Amino acid sequence: MGHGSEQVISRIKQLRRGGLFAAAFSRIAQALITAFAATVIVWALLPLTPGDVATRVLLARGVDHPTAAEIAATREELGLNNPLHIQFFDWVGQVLQGDLGQSFTSRAPVTREIMERLPATVMLLGMALVFSAVLSLLFALIAAGYRDRWPDRLIQIYTQIGAALPTFVFALLALTFVVVGFQMGQVLADATWKAALIPAFIIGLDRAASWTQLLRAGLLDAMASGYANVSRARGASERRILIRHALPNAFLPFLTAIGISVGALIGGAPLIEAIFTWPGLGAFLLEALSARNYPVIQAYVLIAALSYVSAALLIDLIAILIDPRLRQQAS
Amino acid sequence: MNMLNLTRPTADIRTTDRRLLTRLWRHGSGRAGLLIGLALIIFAILGAFWTPHAPDVPDYLEALQPPSLDNPFGTDATGRDLLSRTMDGAHRSIGAAGLVLGAVFLIGLAIGCLAGLAGGVTDALLMRLTDIAMTLPGLVLAFAVLGLLGPGFVNLLIALIIADWAWYARLSRSLALSAGKKPHVIAAQMAGIPRWRIISGHILPGVALQVGIVASLALGGMIGAISGFSFLGLGVQPPHAEWGALLAESRLYFSLAPWLLIAPAGLIFLSVLSANLVGNALRDIAATGDGE
Repeated sequence: MGHGSEQVISRIKQLRRGGLFAAAFSRIAQALITAFAATVIVWALLPLTPGDVATRVLLARGVDHPTAAEIAATREELGLNNPLHIQFFDWVGQVLQGDLGQSFTSRAPVTREIMERLPATVMLLGMALVFSAVLSLLFALIAAGYRDRWPDRLIQIYTQIGAALPTFVFALLALTFVVVGFQMGQVLADATWKAALIPAFIIGLDRAASWTQLLRAGLLDAMASGYANVSRARGASERRILIRHALPNAFLPFLTAIGISVGALIGGAPLIEAIFTWPGLGAFLLEALSARNYPVIQAYVLIAALSYVSAALLIDLIAILIDPRLRQQAS
Repeated sequence: MNMLNLTRPTADIRTTDRRLLTRLWRHGSGRAGLLIGLALIIFAILGAFWTPHAPDVPDYLEALQPPSLDNPFGTDATGRDLLSRTMDGAHRSIGAAGLVLGAVFLIGLAIGCLAGLAGGVTDALLMRLTDIAMTLPGLVLAFAVLGLLGPGFVNLLIALIIADWAWYARLSRSLALSAGKKPHVIAAQMAGIPRWRIISGHILPGVALQVGIVASLALGGMIGAISGFSFLGLGVQPPHAEWGALLAESRLYFSLAPWLLIAPAGLIFLSVLSANLVGNALRDIAATGDGE
């Protein structure tokens, strides 16, 4: 239960204020502010690091024992003598041109190194997200349709276990005892979509547990509501009420929860990639962390923050679009 | 659940009267959760003082033994008894999670109540500060701080505190605001009781209790988070035992001795399960008015 349900509710309340365009506009503005704040934090990482930045950059360029003159020249060249706000805007300008600096260890441009690894991570996390959305939708509909009967009981046991196992523990156990035990696939992954299938399914299965709980509870609430009873009185079948009435109403909190947990998915990438030996960004971050390779850490945090902000924005815009209550308020 | 993201329990904290523990105890899953949690805490306290074998002393003749009466969880690659290591690791896992949550509880409570009760500019400034702290997903922020400070147990605790305090500050603020509008507080104000006495006597205890419940339910998830970082080698350093670090060690020998994964994984599972069960019970109690 990644975040309290109260967080989901407050976000939905926030979305319902104002009309469709007003809501969409304020949400986009909010995302831009958040992205800006995240950029400032990410930028502040480098000046905050211990040691002199100019010396680190010189070391990265292969100057092992820089003289004071060389350091001073590099400070001038990097603009480190400028006021902080000028440094910040220079840095933003570079980032906008796709320049994330130079790796302290490999001396290669960070942008290129990141771009080599980004597709693998996006593929793995994207597939995991699809798996968990599909699985939780399926499980929640089955559980709500067979309430208190054995399919529901079985799914509830699964959700309790899945919700109590951190994803990396679940992935480790599944990999060891199922995938390797029954020789179901290669353990050393290359970044192809076929190799991503099993890891993505395992991550999806674990994350689907808490989403299933959320959606099941929403469906059951909706099934007990007034409009569901009216439909029953008019002779609608339980299945029709579930699909046509309960699902659309329970879908919004579900969607918002997915949006919020994208952040957890991105933040958990290093662990997941370590377990599946997946050659993505997360594994790259771990290398950088142990080598104190700050430009890479900085780039990772920036990409993670921006993808989190845009994913949350996308989900909220979809929510604004599909919730008819918004349009009523707008008119 | 979430990959080791800083986990917030979906606790319903409307019910905070003195009979809460009794009600939890009468609720089936609440009792199960409390019992599991109590057992884990006893396990950790015991493990801090006594273990059946020395947890850090290798015995190469006994390496990678399967579970037996002498070594109920088996032995690791250097012949150390895994039961002793999980017992020794328990106080590190649970204690570290407790430290982080204790810190974010105190920081969050102080900042949240200050913002909520002072209002005005103080409130606005403090809340913008929490906005900034919550811009990045918790885990990403924790990785960023670890990147600055370098890996290590103390640095991990600092990183997690930095990543998590703002959420508790927000929670405390909203609770303090609503507590200020309750009838008994307004009555106290009209009776002319000084403001500091209203705050310390009528508002703070209730808010602290509610935030405390949320923080203690976050214990399981925090244990998962800390074990995740230790699994990556960013937290507890060898030869010290910690559940996540034990998983990382055991993982190297999974083809020879897969049972080594079971005990640390099981203990992490039980910690989160215990918190989830109590959380579910709290929600039921708040929804129905009592635990029956």
